Amino acid sequence: MMKKNHLPAKIFLFLFLLMFIFLPFIPLVLTSFSYNWIWPNVMPESFSLSAWDYVLFENSSTWQAIGVSLLIAFIVTAVNIILAVPAANAFVRYPLRGKWLFEAIIFAPIVIPPFVAVMGIHLTFLRIGLTETIFGVVLAHISPTLPYVVRAAITSYSTLSVDWENQARMLGAGPFSRFYHVVLPHLMPGIAAGASLSILISLSQYLITFIIGSGQVMTLPILLFPFISGGDPAIASSYSLLFAGMAIVALLILDLALKRYYKKKQAAAAIKGVRE
Amino acid sequence: MNQLRITQLEKKFGERKKEENPAFSLKPVHLTIEEGEFFSLLGPSGCGKTTLLKLLAGLEQADDGEVWVGEANITNVPSEARNFAMVFQQPLLFPHMNVEDNIAFGLKMKRVKRAERIERALEMLGHVGLKGYGKRFPNELSGGQQQRAALARALVSDPRILLMDEPFSALDPSLREEMRDLLSRIHQEFGTTIIFVTHDREEAFHLSDRIGVMSDGELVQVAEAKELYEKPASAQVAAFLGLKNILKGSMEAGNFIMENSSLQVAVAGQGEPSMTHMVIHPEKLQLSTDLMEQPTTEEIFFEGTVKQLRFNHGFYLCIVQTENIELECSISSRQAEAVSIGEKVKLSVHLKDLHFISQ
Repeated sequence: MMKKNHLPAKIFLFLFLLMFIFLPFIPLVLTSFSYNWIWPNVMPESFSLSAWDYVLFENSSTWQAIGVSLLIAFIVTAVNIILAVPAANAFVRYPLRGKWLFEAIIFAPIVIPPFVAVMGIHLTFLRIGLTETIFGVVLAHISPTLPYVVRAAITSYSTLSVDWENQARMLGAGPFSRFYHVVLPHLMPGIAAGASLSILISLSQYLITFIIGSGQVMTLPILLFPFISGGDPAIASSYSLLFAGMAIVALLILDLALKRYYKKKQAAAAIKGVRE
Repeated sequence: MNQLRITQLEKKFGERKKEENPAFSLKPVHLTIEEGEFFSLLGPSGCGKTTLLKLLAGLEQADDGEVWVGEANITNVPSEARNFAMVFQQPLLFPHMNVEDNIAFGLKMKRVKRAERIERALEMLGHVGLKGYGKRFPNELSGGQQQRAALARALVSDPRILLMDEPFSALDPSLREEMRDLLSRIHQEFGTTIIFVTHDREEAFHLSDRIGVMSDGELVQVAEAKELYEKPASAQVAAFLGLKNILKGSMEAGNFIMENSSLQVAVAGQGEPSMTHMVIHPEKLQLSTDLMEQPTTEEIFFEGTVKQLRFNHGFYLCIVQTENIELECSISSRQAEAVSIGEKVKLSVHLKDLHFISQ
């Protein structure tokens, strides 16, 4: 009975994934290997590796751009976690006057387009000399990414009863031990979810990076954009695929790190134990 | 000697608890608990017993008063440094650690070496009847097993005082009895001072050396179980303990005059004008079917008809309707065979068995 009900849902999900995630990649892949693919041809006239050759080997700045993109994304995410965990603790645990105001400020970048703020930030950064630096770009990336990490951390904190910490206290655990042994393991899934979003959003920033970095901080979107707006479509496609690959690899790294953490905490053994 | 002394400990909740209880406060508590004693705090929910326990644990800050253990004032010592242990209503075993590591957690916090702490954890597992469960994770244990593990975790680091906050109230009755026996045994084995919060009278009577009855944020009576039962300090305590036959009345010139009854009782020696209730324990009432019997000077009589006979754990409760009041008396099953519902009977009680209390 259950299986019959599940089957149409599975087929629907499969078709959905195929149509919206897998299919759009096909023309992208084709374009990246094409040479002189013009209307009204359904398929490219001839295939060539020249676009990939250019992207991967001739243009030396590609690998550097990927490195800079990942560096910025991971630093931004690390800073976000350090900021978001105490913030979430305060939001959930302490009665705070005007709490809504603080929440509104933190969550504003989700609603307000970030470049509104970036125009102001740009002027300030120009004055204190933070433009054209990776540090400046990192700071600017925090505003659109922080809300997601805070949101995830708040959700995690609100499902953690104070009793757990009280119990740890009664067993002699000081503030640091309580956080490390009791709070952190509970927050971990939430932090991982928030961190994934933070990495993805930071990786795909174009405008903020462009304005604050003034073209001197070369991330992959900065490199990719001129080819999309009027350059060689084959090269643009190759860069787009490379971009997707970079994002997927970044998420895989995060996933692997999380799994290693859980293995250390023996939770992996717990899951095994249940299955046995 | 490591007695626990509580002097004028007080706590007021202002705005924070407004929704739950408008002006809740814990009135000054003055109490000494001996080393190795099993002390229960008994009271209905919301009477402040958990608050008192949390003050002792240091999880709440007192507004006033002090807590001493032996010669040390620990009022301002943080919970983690008090070397107390606490078992909560929920087992609260850390879900990402196996039972062994959970139990060894307190020792880890004390920087005991891993080999030694696992050894001590395993030994403690044996004491609570969970031998061989060390490698399991909390979600693989039943509720009772989890609470046993929580008890082991609390005991393993040899706490000065073990605090327990209704630890068995989430378990089903048969399991509760089993845990009660286990706790009794462990208390004798380890001799730890235990402060046990409960709203279950039976649990408190079964386990405790002494019981403190709390009501509305006040510790109203501290006594041994037997004394508490025979001589409750007030009508409120008597009612909470579930005592039967609490009769209203008033004192007039050394006589207790019952409300709704023409009966007067001469109160010998212990007459105080503030006394408003008389307690007659059901087992102190003698039932007799011989209506001709004459009262002696040491007794009082009630006449009435048997209204109901109720079987209750090996004896019968006989409910007798007198003039205006209902009395309960407990009788053996042999006696119960001799009476029938609707029969006229006499109930007699010795004057010395009457207990007079004020509101």
